[in-house]
Amino acid sequence: MADAADPGLARDATPAPPRREELVGPGHDFASVTEKISSIVLQRRTPWGWFVGFAIAFALLQGMLLAVGYLLFVGIGVWGVTIPIGWGMDIINFVWWIGIGHAGTLISAILLLLRQGWRTSINRFAEAMTLFAVACAAFYPVFHTGRPWLAYWLFPYPNTMGLWPNFRSPLIWDVFAVSTYGTVSLLFWFVGLVPDLATLRDRARSKPWKILYGILAMGWRGSARHWHNYDTAYLLLAGLATPLVVSVHTVVSFDFAIGIIPGWHATIFPPYFVAGAIYAGFAMVLTIAIPLRKFYALEDFITMRHLENMAKVMLATGLIVAYGYMMEAFMAWYSADTYERFAIWNRMTGPYWKMYWALILCNVVAPNTLWVKNLRTSVPYLFFMSLVVSVGMWLERFVIIVTSLHRDFLPSSWGIYRGTFFDWSAFIGTLGLFSTLLFLFVRFLPAISIFEMRTILPGAEVEEEHP
Amino acid sequence: MSTPAFPVPAEVDRLQRTALVAGGAGVGLSLLGAVFDLGQFLRSWLFAELFWTGVAVGCLSLLMINHMTGGVWGLVIRRLLEAGGRTVPLLAILFLPIALGLPRIYEWARPEVVAADPVLQMKRPYLNVPFFLLRAVFFFAAWSALAHFLSRWSGELDRTGSLRVARRLRGLSGGGLLILGLTITFSAVDWAMSLDPHWFSTIYGIVFMVGQALSAMALVIVLLARLRGEEPFAEAVRPQVVHDLGKLMLAFVMLWAYVNFSQFLIIWSGNLPEEAPWYILRLHGGWQGIALLVLLFHFVLPFLLLLSRDLKRSAPTLARVAGALFLVRLVDLYWLVAPDLHHHGALRVSWTDVTAPVGVGGIWLFWLARELRVRPLLPQRDPDLEEFLAQPAEGHA
Repeated sequence: MADAADPGLARDATPAPPRREELVGPGHDFASVTEKISSIVLQRRTPWGWFVGFAIAFALLQGMLLAVGYLLFVGIGVWGVTIPIGWGMDIINFVWWIGIGHAGTLISAILLLLRQGWRTSINRFAEAMTLFAVACAAFYPVFHTGRPWLAYWLFPYPNTMGLWPNFRSPLIWDVFAVSTYGTVSLLFWFVGLVPDLATLRDRARSKPWKILYGILAMGWRGSARHWHNYDTAYLLLAGLATPLVVSVHTVVSFDFAIGIIPGWHATIFPPYFVAGAIYAGFAMVLTIAIPLRKFYALEDFITMRHLENMAKVMLATGLIVAYGYMMEAFMAWYSADTYERFAIWNRMTGPYWKMYWALILCNVVAPNTLWVKNLRTSVPYLFFMSLVVSVGMWLERFVIIVTSLHRDFLPSSWGIYRGTFFDWSAFIGTLGLFSTLLFLFVRFLPAISIFEMRTILPGAEVEEEHP
Repeated sequence: MSTPAFPVPAEVDRLQRTALVAGGAGVGLSLLGAVFDLGQFLRSWLFAELFWTGVAVGCLSLLMINHMTGGVWGLVIRRLLEAGGRTVPLLAILFLPIALGLPRIYEWARPEVVAADPVLQMKRPYLNVPFFLLRAVFFFAAWSALAHFLSRWSGELDRTGSLRVARRLRGLSGGGLLILGLTITFSAVDWAMSLDPHWFSTIYGIVFMVGQALSAMALVIVLLARLRGEEPFAEAVRPQVVHDLGKLMLAFVMLWAYVNFSQFLIIWSGNLPEEAPWYILRLHGGWQGIALLVLLFHFVLPFLLLLSRDLKRSAPTLARVAGALFLVRLVDLYWLVAPDLHHHGALRVSWTDVTAPVGVGGIWLFWLARELRVRPLLPQRDPDLEEFLAQPAEGHA
């Protein structure tokens, strides 16, 4: 931000000094950037810390496999889902994971189209995060079907059973939204990787790695023609990915809002879910970026300005989410509808009141501390906040899903939901899956885009008009 | 009026004269309508007031968004937006007929209706005349204060070029957008949603925020295209700036469609007796024609046109689209509120529904033109704008 210490400086004579912090630390050139990022993958010995982290993540993943094995053996009765709460932590975790993915797409697609240079060092691992989060999310609905080997029935295809999905159900829109999202994100991520894979191919010392990276680089030679086609393809993919930032979580919000349960049937759900997704996603990007830059000494590439900008996005989207809570509560009261009023009152004072107020603390009170610049620029505090937000967004989905279902129109069918051991082990297991994939990604692929970092170096300025 | 020390385009004079004539005629005819049917006059007046207040508040939104995000597009239109914001006191005065005639407009303000309706009795803590007026005073006061300080500090920035003032403006805009979000929401609930006091929708405030920002953006583009031939705009209105404004307008068009479609889909699929009648009313008795018109000309056509890069870079053609959108904004608002104003019946347009927006709009534009003379039409000493103007132009808009 306007940090050059020149308040009231007369601006007539010389061209203005840089008013914003640079995006790359001082003293870097093309070679040092390439060297620094690619060495994480190629040259350095794998640090012992990586092995420790990977071992923990991998152990959690094994736990998940055990939990899933038992689930398949016995059936989804091992989860806490009952009537009236027909879907519990499976849908909560699905929404939580899919929401986290949105920040990656926003950073890589929308910020690219908006010409935000600061996206460059964080887009690669944010996109990877998106992919892994979508993988974790997809786990839940597939296993909630109880017969995951028949999950392909979700897709409409001509079959001898004469069986078609219900196209009026938002759940089937979800199938399309999430599978499109996963596909486009994967393509976008891979296309973005190609030039860097070629760099790794050229720099790898051992033959097998040369061959492996060579295959993945798909014959990239870096010719002008390659770059020309590449830029077009990348922009087109960014254009394709942009509507997905909004559409996926809009469809997820329809899963609830299309129904008529008080607490779900609210017209504000689509924008407020999208904002919540971006909010949670940026929190996760911070959760990953802060240890990553510390551990691999990448402070020159993921600078304070990146962290502060992400904090600002978190503050802005957090305020939209808070607006959503406020409108839900106000309209429930204003509607003078017995069920609407009861639903919100039950949230605030019913059996799950602790969850509701913890959610308000995490998602409404806590993010407002980010108005303070000193807090926004404190790395430990941002890390803490990113965890608070992740917890808050999980609680939000819990509150929306469970409190709306557990007491609806008919008091005789009220109930209480509690996650069982297998709910929790599946959730912790997906955390393990997510971190395992992240550890592998950081170890074997460049976590920061090498060629894009080169373009934002001071020496890369070519006097050319923006398109 | 003394001759100012900076260029004021002759177009501003023309605008001021035309607007005054149109405003005078519109208000005169509307008052004549009041003699025949006071209730109808008041309802038409509410429609006009809602629309033009929306334009003014939309100006404030765009202004503060630009203070937060930066960008040359906002610097070029900053003075237009500030002037738009400073019309709020005028709109507060024009609100008086509504404040005095509440029972003729709103069901919930008629004691006999409330006495017969248990739901309205439950809503009385919110929907009652004194609280409604108190809130209206608060909305106008908040918007006036924001407009005042945004203009005043922006003038200070002109004189001093101080970064501290720029930072103060950014701080005000951060808090200001919060205040604006809440005041727009609750004014929309009060003034428009409570026309059907049984209906409610949580996205309603956002529908208004987006619509107002779009109205303001469309108007500003039209004004800019008319002023672009004269100093100080001749240098500043370049294809790049016009392009950015066009892109933002496209974004608002899409956002408008998104929030409206979300609301429609959710209410349509729920099909609940407390929500669906609002849409049933608006999709029958002739209103469905208006709905179709709004769908085509508020979304489909402008969306397709605004995809074109060439169109977005040419000020005159973009202004034609913006002008059409501005008119469709009026139709959209009419579709939103008028079915409830006309006693929940079939489509019927009273002639005061036309004269009132013209009258209020004329006076509003007259006031805007007056405000446009107060300050130089481009910010002075703004480093970003100076840097931009120092670059060679790449052809003409």
